[in-house]
Amino acid sequence: MARVKLEHVWKKYSGDVVAVRDFNLDIDDKEFVVFVGPSGCGKTTTLRMIAGLEDITSGDLYIGDRRVNDVAPKDRDIAMVFQNYALYPHMTVYENMAFGLKLRKVPKAEIDKRVKEAAKILGIDHLLDRKPKALSGGQRQRVALGRAIVREPQVFLMDEPLSNLDAKLRVQMRAEIRKLHQRIQTTTIYVTHDQTEAMTMGDRIVVMRDGVIQQVDTPQRIYSHPVNMFVAGFIGSPAMNFIRGELVEDGGQIYFRAPEWNIRLPEGRHQALRNAGVIGKSVVLGVRPEDIHDEEVFQSAYPEATVRARIEVVEHMGSELYLHLTKGGQTFVGRVASRFDFRPGQDTQLVLDLNKIHIFDAETEEAVQFS
Amino acid sequence: MNTRTLRAVRGGVLTAITWVIVVLTVFPILWMIFTSLHTNQEILEGINSLSLAHPQWQNYVQMWQTVNFFNYFKNSLIIDACTMVLACLFSMFAGYSLARYRFPGSGLFSIGVIATQMIPGIMFLIPVYMLFLQIHKWLGIPMVNTYWGMIIVYTAFYTPMSIWIMRSFFVAIPSELEEAAMVDGCNRWQAFWRVILPLAGPGIVATCVYVFLTAWDELMFAWVLTTTPDVQTIPVGIRLYVGQYQNRFDLLMCAATVVTLPVMITFFLFQRHFIRGMTAGAVKG
Repeated sequence: MARVKLEHVWKKYSGDVVAVRDFNLDIDDKEFVVFVGPSGCGKTTTLRMIAGLEDITSGDLYIGDRRVNDVAPKDRDIAMVFQNYALYPHMTVYENMAFGLKLRKVPKAEIDKRVKEAAKILGIDHLLDRKPKALSGGQRQRVALGRAIVREPQVFLMDEPLSNLDAKLRVQMRAEIRKLHQRIQTTTIYVTHDQTEAMTMGDRIVVMRDGVIQQVDTPQRIYSHPVNMFVAGFIGSPAMNFIRGELVEDGGQIYFRAPEWNIRLPEGRHQALRNAGVIGKSVVLGVRPEDIHDEEVFQSAYPEATVRARIEVVEHMGSELYLHLTKGGQTFVGRVASRFDFRPGQDTQLVLDLNKIHIFDAETEEAVQFS
Repeated sequence: MNTRTLRAVRGGVLTAITWVIVVLTVFPILWMIFTSLHTNQEILEGINSLSLAHPQWQNYVQMWQTVNFFNYFKNSLIIDACTMVLACLFSMFAGYSLARYRFPGSGLFSIGVIATQMIPGIMFLIPVYMLFLQIHKWLGIPMVNTYWGMIIVYTAFYTPMSIWIMRSFFVAIPSELEEAAMVDGCNRWQAFWRVILPLAGPGIVATCVYVFLTAWDELMFAWVLTTTPDVQTIPVGIRLYVGQYQNRFDLLMCAATVVTLPVMITFFLFQRHFIRGMTAGAVKG
């Protein structure tokens, strides 16, 4: 097992297309790191550079203590799980899993032991004689994982391994991969465009956009302290609401104002806002749908944070519902406990949890950090 | 007419056209087989070949005795088999490179490969003949009327099309498979040999069948570049039934039937692969 370190890594294609820009990351031994971002953000390219399937234009890549920029994939001691599984169609499940070990001239008895062990862990021991085409998507995914774990590599690389599975199976495999990691403790780098996967699986998440790292942190920190509007909007479902307005200081208080909006911000936030120099400037107020409450107890406790908005759409999700609201020409979503008295077209009173709001500079889109 | 009727009429017309093409294609073959079972006299008298009152099976025995047909058969097998192996080998590597790599001039190379197919083969006849004479003159290597001369010419002619057949097969194999192999411990050559090649099996079969069948039928170059029976191939040999000793159309048809049979058997055995090979590019790009 090993540490993976990327120092000032760039990937440029001909025609000066930059896929990855000055990527710096230090992944600890045994850590499970998730690269997440929209398509084209450079996450897969970075993974492929770590695998050795793409050349690194500049910068250094270390696996363990070894600089591996110029080391062939086969000599990097990594295993990779591909999006489309990439199982060898002409080989049985057993042969697929044993292939890497055979190439490394591992004794037959040892291969047999390792393949059977891995197959048992993954619950595919009854499928060893089958060819990949005779397997379901979930089974193929397990074989692909099995092929990776029998090798006992220093690092696992996973490139959107669950994106070809249906929603239910994806949730199940998500947990299984996490369990597998807890069991074998191999450093893992996992690429996904699905923020839920990132949040549920990673010890740390690397959020990327246009080839640039936006933020690297634990899922909790990324969720509660996004550094900019991109991260705030990308992580979380439904996405964070953004309300455009300005900050005004009036009589020692700071207000967020926009047409029909006038919210007095808690005093505990004042200093940070002043330090950030956003008073009197255009800002974006970010509030997550679950930080919008409809209960009367909140309304009486926080009258200054209460807003009246018009319901446009009501989405029943079972235990909760999403209210699509509009106020002063700006739309936002509230996530509240399920009730049946909300009607589209109706006005309703809601309370924003001001201790959990985010303020972003409208120009730079950077967040004001409230520690 | 509503859509359903229109569709039915269109289907009917297409089926009719298909049958016309089938008849047009199969008829000469049937004509050849039936004619081979008549006497030469009957054929010369213009008897309806499809009426078969007294099939002349002994024609098939006489055919082997009149001309040393086995010799031509052997020459064809040697030349065509060697051509097949060489053309497949070259096209395998070239097709793989075109499918997987962007190298300087790869676009030009692809166009060049296709462009060779635009030029009628007969245009090369005199230049190739002259070239062979020059090679003999300057390098002392005899080329005209040799196995290797024929093998080189055929390989050169059939490789371009083979490259395209192979290329379309390699394109259809996901590159992740060889990437997986390389991460698993293969170098590029091992990944090609152990993972890609077994999957390209149908493409290789299709290419082999294409090369073998085309070479088997080739007359023009064989007629000009070979001069003695120890090198001449079947298409040249068949012509000897008419004109060398006498005009034996019956034996000519026997010989034609005999040489068509291996071709047809080969084709039917591998037709699934062959059709896939010819259409892979069209469907999978």
